[in-house]
Amino acid sequence: MTLLEVRDLCIDYFTSTRVIHAVRGVSFDVAPGERVALVGESGSGKTTTALALMQMIEPPGKIVGGTAKLNGTDLLALRGDAVRASRLANVAYIPQGAMNSLNPVLRLREQILDGLVDHGQRLDRKAADALVAGALKGVGLSPDLARAYPHELSGGMKQRACIAIAIAMKPDLVIADEPTSALDVITQKQVMATLIAAQEEIGCGLLLIGHDMGLMAQATNRVIVLQHGLIAEDAPVGRIFTDPQHAYSRMLIDSVPTLGKRAETAAPAVIAKPEAASLMEFDKVSKTFGGGLFGNDAVRALDTCSFRLADEHPQIISVVGQSGSGKTTLARMVLGFETPSTGEIRYRGKPMAAMRAEERRAYRREVQAIFQDPYGSFNPFYKVDRALSLPLANFGLTTQGGSARSRMEEACEAVGLDAGEVLGRFPHELSGGQRQRLMVARALMIGPRMLVADEPVSMVDASLRMTILGNLQRLKDRFSISVIYITHDLATAYHVSDYVLVLHKGRIVEAGLPGDVIERPEHPYTRSLVDAIPWPDPNRHWGTGAPDRAGWDARQIIRGQSAGFVLNAAG
Amino acid sequence: MYIQRILRRILTLLAVIWAAATLNFFLPQLAPKNPITEKLTQLAETSGISGNQIAVLTEAFNERFGLDQPLWKRYFDYLHDIATFDFGYSISSYPTRVGDLIGGALPWTLGLMITTTLVSFAIGTLVGAYAAWRRDSLLMQAVSSVLMVFSAIPFYLIGLVLIYFLAAKGGWFPISGGYSLFSIPGWNWSFALEVLHHSLLPALSIAIASIGIWAIGMRGMMVTVQGEDYMVFAKAKGLKPRRVFLRYGVRNAVLPQVTTLALFFGQVVTGAVLVEIVFGYPGMGNLLLESITLFDYPTIYGIVFILIVTIALSMLLVDLIYPLIDPRVRA
Repeated sequence: MTLLEVRDLCIDYFTSTRVIHAVRGVSFDVAPGERVALVGESGSGKTTTALALMQMIEPPGKIVGGTAKLNGTDLLALRGDAVRASRLANVAYIPQGAMNSLNPVLRLREQILDGLVDHGQRLDRKAADALVAGALKGVGLSPDLARAYPHELSGGMKQRACIAIAIAMKPDLVIADEPTSALDVITQKQVMATLIAAQEEIGCGLLLIGHDMGLMAQATNRVIVLQHGLIAEDAPVGRIFTDPQHAYSRMLIDSVPTLGKRAETAAPAVIAKPEAASLMEFDKVSKTFGGGLFGNDAVRALDTCSFRLADEHPQIISVVGQSGSGKTTLARMVLGFETPSTGEIRYRGKPMAAMRAEERRAYRREVQAIFQDPYGSFNPFYKVDRALSLPLANFGLTTQGGSARSRMEEACEAVGLDAGEVLGRFPHELSGGQRQRLMVARALMIGPRMLVADEPVSMVDASLRMTILGNLQRLKDRFSISVIYITHDLATAYHVSDYVLVLHKGRIVEAGLPGDVIERPEHPYTRSLVDAIPWPDPNRHWGTGAPDRAGWDARQIIRGQSAGFVLNAAG
Repeated sequence: MYIQRILRRILTLLAVIWAAATLNFFLPQLAPKNPITEKLTQLAETSGISGNQIAVLTEAFNERFGLDQPLWKRYFDYLHDIATFDFGYSISSYPTRVGDLIGGALPWTLGLMITTTLVSFAIGTLVGAYAAWRRDSLLMQAVSSVLMVFSAIPFYLIGLVLIYFLAAKGGWFPISGGYSLFSIPGWNWSFALEVLHHSLLPALSIAIASIGIWAIGMRGMMVTVQGEDYMVFAKAKGLKPRRVFLRYGVRNAVLPQVTTLALFFGQVVTGAVLVEIVFGYPGMGNLLLESITLFDYPTIYGIVFILIVTIALSMLLVDLIYPLIDPRVRA
């Protein structure tokens, strides 16, 4: 027996110049109570397929053929008000952008109830209160949050609220579109556990859309791999990870970083000599926000910490932690965007606070940033060449067109891009992965000594992440550039970094070589982080238990030093 | 916390009023003309006063209006007077008090401007929102273009066109004035109807242009809001289109419009000077024009001070109202 039967689904986009076949004859089934993964990279047609089931394809897109029978009713043949009526009641959708999916000016209570009211349910005040409380409790939220506005919730809580809203009418099919893509691993695991518990409770089918094979291995029964709008493979989760039939499925699986296969670099046994010249030094630095005159509560973003990055041993230092752990504050201080509340930051031995204008300029030139969002980092009105050459002009490094061009080509080549293919194009003509590599190339243009990369790969396809990070690693060796890699993704940190700092509530709770810290974590917080990594192996289940928060405030554990990076335990 | 914030806002309000009032006092002092001489010269042209008499009269008037006092003393007297809303005597319409002149003109302007502003805000916002909602329909695209044209035409130009066609040619409306010359103002129905009849054309000329302005602003905001994730989720929830439009779309898109509306209210006192002049409407605009042409300082002070107070009050209004409609700024 099948719940959902999709046959020959075809969706075209009619642009002014040509027709793009986004989905080309896709057929698949979902059984009642089954969790099916729809996996593919951006542009594979997975979200388009899902939106088609809700008849939510916006022009110029159009469903040009096929059927999608849910319990015998063709969802694509519904017309008029029946389309609206079937949403939420029969097919529910949990959107991707959990951060902005809730109406900012309405209380949660109203956002849970309005869907029910518009589907003809009449509730008196008491029944409505009970229903809202039940819906919130069902996803692990406090019933008191009924009166809360979305901005009062954390990212994980917002996504739970979206789940509560979507399943309020016990639909037959739930479509979740990358429901955890913006969340850190611990929150991701908890939200997925909530979603699966809810799905099992109401016994509906679940279509989970995403590009992270690790997550799919943990959360689904069957995996459908989409490529260029076609189904590449459709197999049970037990088989696809052990014996993928299609080369593309294998590539997706292999691109997920796993532990234990780390290519060990040269043994970092040499302890940097204390007298060695330092590149960047944090001396008892801490940062507190707020407080002061208006008496707001002061927030300790970063506890006192001291470390020294030596000049002659370029390093990739990973700073990992959940959102709010202080990792971005640390990065912003390295970049000079924030000044420390106490302590001193020295660059090449010179206190940043005391730098003169030209010293500051040199520092700005040598310490470059790579940001998270490859889509927002480019001005859409200019060709990408401008973004690349602007730093040169800013620092007055070159004026001749020819030499600028050759530097651009060099930088592109360094990050593994074909200069002829990307230069002279507009940002929208390039993929997210290409754009992010261009951002790295941009930083390279002016010969930096240090890169600060804040979640540089969280918005690019999983299959590209390791490639881009591998690039950073090669740049480190080739140009002697130290990298501060800020992330919540421990698996990538494990592979690229020479040293790992684990931050929790502004405190460095564990630090050491990646082989130690991530393979054999000792601090309870690090252990929770590592436990929450979704491994691309259905047999290595990540468990269902909530993380043990009790030990998260345990004292700091520092394990070993790395050449060129010295962390002071004393703070 | 909320009380504390309100108190701070009110203190800021007083500071703003003081600063503006001070500027208001000193700026006209820089003008090279003496109002008394100006008025007397005008008088001399119509009646036959000699130059000698003018000099004597000027001195007498200077003393009468306190213009012979040193500047700092006049400044402090001025501050004291405006704090009690006493603007002294009008120079051009002596011996009428400025307060009475303003009191006579203000209700006309407030009545006209507040009604037209509120009505055109409501209509313009809804039309603009709907134009964005149905962006693909040809009708709404046509409506948008028409609105854009109207929003670009100044009030008074529309007023002139309306007078030409509806009053001069059609004869359905009076050409000018707030009421007809022959009737006696009073609180009765026939007079109220007459006032309404006279105010329709000025109101229409303001409304036509400002509906366009409101609609264009709202349309832009609504287009942005329609791209938000919560709009996608609202549709995926199977909400009725009416609810998605009003509670999710308009409710969010209207937020910046409300700020603009409050600032707009700050300008109502003098908002449509040219319209009042075109229609000979007995409001603040006409009063301001007259007093400027005659260098009637006390009246100018009075009007500008009322203007400062209303602008400052409307800014306070924004600060107080905004947290009520946008939970994100309640802190």
